[in-house]
Amino acid sequence: MSALAEQSAVAGGTSNPSQVRAALRLGRTRLGLALCLAVIGVALVGPWLVPHSPTDFVAGPFQVRAPGAPLGSDNLGRDVLSRFLAGGKALLILSVLATIAGVGLGTAVGAIAGYFRSTIDNWLMRLTDVVLAFPHIVLALLLVATFGPQPWLIVLAVAIGHAPRTARIVRAATLGVVEHDYIRAAEAVGVPWPSIVFHEIVPAISSPLLAETALRFAYSLTFVSSLSFLGLGLQPPTPDWGVMINENRLALTVAPFGTLLPAAALAILTVGTSLVSDGFSRVVAGVDRGIKS
Amino acid sequence: MPNPSGGLSIAKLIAQRIGSGVLVLVAVSMIVFGATYGLGDPVRAMLGNEATPERVRAVAHELGTDRSLVEQYIAWVEGLLTNEAKSFATGRPVSELLGPRLLNSMILAGSAGLVAVLLGVAGGIASAFWRDRSLERLASLISLVLVALPEFVTGIFLVALLSTGVLHLLPAVYIGSGTVLDPLALILPMTTLVLAAAPYILQLARATMIEVLESDYVRMARLKGISELRVVMIHALPNAIGPIVQTIAIVLAWLAGGVVVVEFLFRFPGIGTAMADAVTNRDLPTVQAISLLIAGLYIVLNILADVIGLLANPRVRHGSR
Amino acid sequence: MKEIIRGLTVSRRSFLKKTAALTAAGSALLTGGLVGAQTAPNGKPRRGGRLVVGVTGGGAKDKLDAHTPISLPDTARVHNLYDRLAIRNENFDLELALAEEVTPSSDASKWTIRLKQGVTFHNGKDITADDVIFTFQRILDKAAPKNEARSISFVDPNGFRKLDARTVEVNLLWPSGILLDALSGYAFGIVPVGYDPANPVGSGPFKLKSFTAGDKSIFTRFDGYWRPDQPYLDEVVIIDFPDESARINALLGGQVDAIDQVPLGQIPIVEGNSALRVLDSPTGSWLPFTMRVDAPPFNDVRVRQAFRLIVDRKEMIRQALAGRGRIGNDIYSPFDPCYPSDFPQRDQDIDQAKSLLRQAGHQDLEVELVSSPVGAGLVEAAQVFTKQAESAGVKVRLNRKDAGQFYGKEWLSYPFSQAVWYTRSYLLQAGRCALPQSPFNETHWTDPAYARLIQEAIATIDDKKRCEIIHQAQKLEWDNGGYLIWGFPNQVGAYSARVSGFKPDKTGAPMNSYGFGKVWFNA
Repeated sequence: MSALAEQSAVAGGTSNPSQVRAALRLGRTRLGLALCLAVIGVALVGPWLVPHSPTDFVAGPFQVRAPGAPLGSDNLGRDVLSRFLAGGKALLILSVLATIAGVGLGTAVGAIAGYFRSTIDNWLMRLTDVVLAFPHIVLALLLVATFGPQPWLIVLAVAIGHAPRTARIVRAATLGVVEHDYIRAAEAVGVPWPSIVFHEIVPAISSPLLAETALRFAYSLTFVSSLSFLGLGLQPPTPDWGVMINENRLALTVAPFGTLLPAAALAILTVGTSLVSDGFSRVVAGVDRGIKS
Repeated sequence: MPNPSGGLSIAKLIAQRIGSGVLVLVAVSMIVFGATYGLGDPVRAMLGNEATPERVRAVAHELGTDRSLVEQYIAWVEGLLTNEAKSFATGRPVSELLGPRLLNSMILAGSAGLVAVLLGVAGGIASAFWRDRSLERLASLISLVLVALPEFVTGIFLVALLSTGVLHLLPAVYIGSGTVLDPLALILPMTTLVLAAAPYILQLARATMIEVLESDYVRMARLKGISELRVVMIHALPNAIGPIVQTIAIVLAWLAGGVVVVEFLFRFPGIGTAMADAVTNRDLPTVQAISLLIAGLYIVLNILADVIGLLANPRVRHGSR
Repeated sequence: MKEIIRGLTVSRRSFLKKTAALTAAGSALLTGGLVGAQTAPNGKPRRGGRLVVGVTGGGAKDKLDAHTPISLPDTARVHNLYDRLAIRNENFDLELALAEEVTPSSDASKWTIRLKQGVTFHNGKDITADDVIFTFQRILDKAAPKNEARSISFVDPNGFRKLDARTVEVNLLWPSGILLDALSGYAFGIVPVGYDPANPVGSGPFKLKSFTAGDKSIFTRFDGYWRPDQPYLDEVVIIDFPDESARINALLGGQVDAIDQVPLGQIPIVEGNSALRVLDSPTGSWLPFTMRVDAPPFNDVRVRQAFRLIVDRKEMIRQALAGRGRIGNDIYSPFDPCYPSDFPQRDQDIDQAKSLLRQAGHQDLEVELVSSPVGAGLVEAAQVFTKQAESAGVKVRLNRKDAGQFYGKEWLSYPFSQAVWYTRSYLLQAGRCALPQSPFNETHWTDPAYARLIQEAIATIDDKKRCEIIHQAQKLEWDNGGYLIWGFPNQVGAYSARVSGFKPDKTGAPMNSYGFGKVWFNA
């Protein structure tokens, strides 16, 4: 439920890139990054290391161990290890694309709203209110119901959910920064507003933005894998961790690896991104949720 | 956010909130309509393989999809309000299916919300009280992990542990489709939701409590020599309640959407499973109806959260002149 | 005259004997495939208890009509609410049930049916000749023909004569030797005059207590049932389970006492549980892929032939059925004495398949396959086929429908899909799926030459001659038909160890033909 973290608006405060470095020095950020990189590594490199093709049959269904399949076979008799190694890439790519699209759009909207305030701010925020009026998953399911589960649609559905939530955070952070002298100075000199927004303001709010991005990424992963789990995301026979979990969970007690491996990978990845996000928020908030730094 | 100063009475603020909520609901209905009938072709979705050109023309005329989008939207809203919308799958009015299911989901979400709130708030207060102890740090780490995990992963492990694998204490799925009255059948899905929501409430309650406990007002009370317990209960807690209650309302709103995956996992007969099934079957009328229901619920709960936030804000409560 | 009668009686007896011989020989071969035998009955049967059964599929279209069951829950209900004149028992042998005699005249132009003494309906009324006639006529009703109408198309709907209170003379439009076989179908339940499916009265081991479509139905013991001592159970609850994972979880969690179909790959889960038993029956059931011969691309017979060569039948059995089944050769009714074991067994031949597709102009074919978990092994088979088709350059798009959706409006018109069929004799099976007026002709194959041959075979009394005619018909089907019959799955169900009485059943209907009348709870 890292989705709810959106509601806890990260305190504005003065933020600058050195905070990023400070965050990276924290133990938990480093642990988080390590966990993330481990799983991402498996997801990206895995497809090249598969002992069998992820769609080849190697044994009878749900064998806990079989010659050629050290971790057993799945619901159709395919190699669990191969499917696991190949099952993270699509999920990862879709999640990254959705996060970039959603956060990018949200940042633009939020920064512009926070910079200009007045009517533009009003209208933009009304718009985000309307989109925010949906639980994210309902919006995604609406789109899938119309178009069917397509990869581009999944990216779009997830991104549309991220944008307004990111916009809110970014707007709050922008409001805190916009009064500063160097912004005023740039305006006085006549720097065009896009340049101010994207070259001055955005870097200034990089810490809360990074915290938010990490959070959004974790949420993208959860969301895309949940959709696949429901049968409404990536479709069989594509090897995908969410699909694998759904296909193999019945045999959890006799052939557990088909479910446990992808579940563990998802867990480690989401926890890792959570730690990273937590690290960034601590630095930004200064007060570590009660423990004074 | 409205300014709490300047004579706006609470009633006016609430009315304002409700008014904007209604507008949002209308906008939401436009999105629902646009995302389904506007972008897709309801005629083909309904006819499937029978979509010969003559049938398509006939049904299109019947459904009115050969009119302009605006006209269609108005007709659609009328249809909703008069309960004419029929499911593509069963041909029966959508409301027939949803009535009992809505009740079931509310029972599930309601009980999960209640337990999550109790555990979260109590845990948060205790955690604030005993902060910095090693046990508390461990609890903090555990709640971080729980919050991060996707709900279906938590659910599957619960099933493996308590139902089909190690122990056989609880039913793994719900049987039948009537109103859920069997508490045993509720436990596993409820626990899954609680494990997702409670840690979040706990962390927020903890943060709020700590903030309040470190505030000047409370420090004054301590300086006056009042016992720590009284300080917490009588001086700290009332000020912490506002943000906490607001969070609770937000969590309940989240539950409105969060039930979908959990219900699907346990085949719980609620609107979440109904939604997943309807999407799989491309049953657009049912999908629309459930989306509106959930969105409506979500809006109501968010308004509630806003209102409580306003009420709890001492400046608004005591009026500022 | 005497010789002819003796000849007929002998040939009828020998027909039955041959069937028995074949099945006996068959089962000797098949015992190798029998894994997980049933519980040896635990002492004597006891009265009492409430059996809760999870049945595959079901939905809003659930019904109680004796003569139109479609889904598995419908079938389960029909087996228990109603009884027939004759049945096929667990060895696929014909056995008289409500009837004490069903015999043809010497020229097989009319049959005599006599009911047993003392058989009654749930409401206490005796079953009489009028009820039998009413049942026949209801099934044959031209305005609303029922499932079995085609199977008894040779019966003259106006040619029934009531000989006495228990005896009916059935006059035929043309001679037929297979009426007894036809009457044994499960959609041939005898119902009383004035039968109303909304308030169903039957003569089966259980009476209806309550029914909710898409949910469950509850039945109570019928004390007047004619089989001695049966039924033993007080009550039976049949619950719809369109979702596979819910079904097996319900059994594992103890929420139901039995489920009719265990997804075959999950049998080890049940076997590993000492509180459960597996009921594994080799059957003549078949799970074909169906290709509509009147829809592109399958309207080109070369495409159909290519598809039959794409499939690796042994791999199908291994991966989709976890080894629990036997390979098929695109002809149904493996237990029929006229099964063409001389046809060369088709094997996977990708090169030939590709060549055929190229000749037909479809070298890069894309097709949609409609599948659904309405029977165990179906979706798995579809997925395995998708993989096998890749090597022949065929891209299969799998459209997996919910169980409730599959039997919807578009059923029987999918260009490429699957089906679930139980064990039947060849002629009866052909009547249901391969003739112009067949009720379930998924492939839309309507070859007049074939229909003529079948007609002829039905009217042929001599076994040997009948087999020769059937053989010719089968050759036509083997070359040009729309079915891809890759194998005959075992029927695997599971039940609590507290229950006894289930036996492996060759007819393919799950749970010993849903025979809840013969099971009991152990002491």
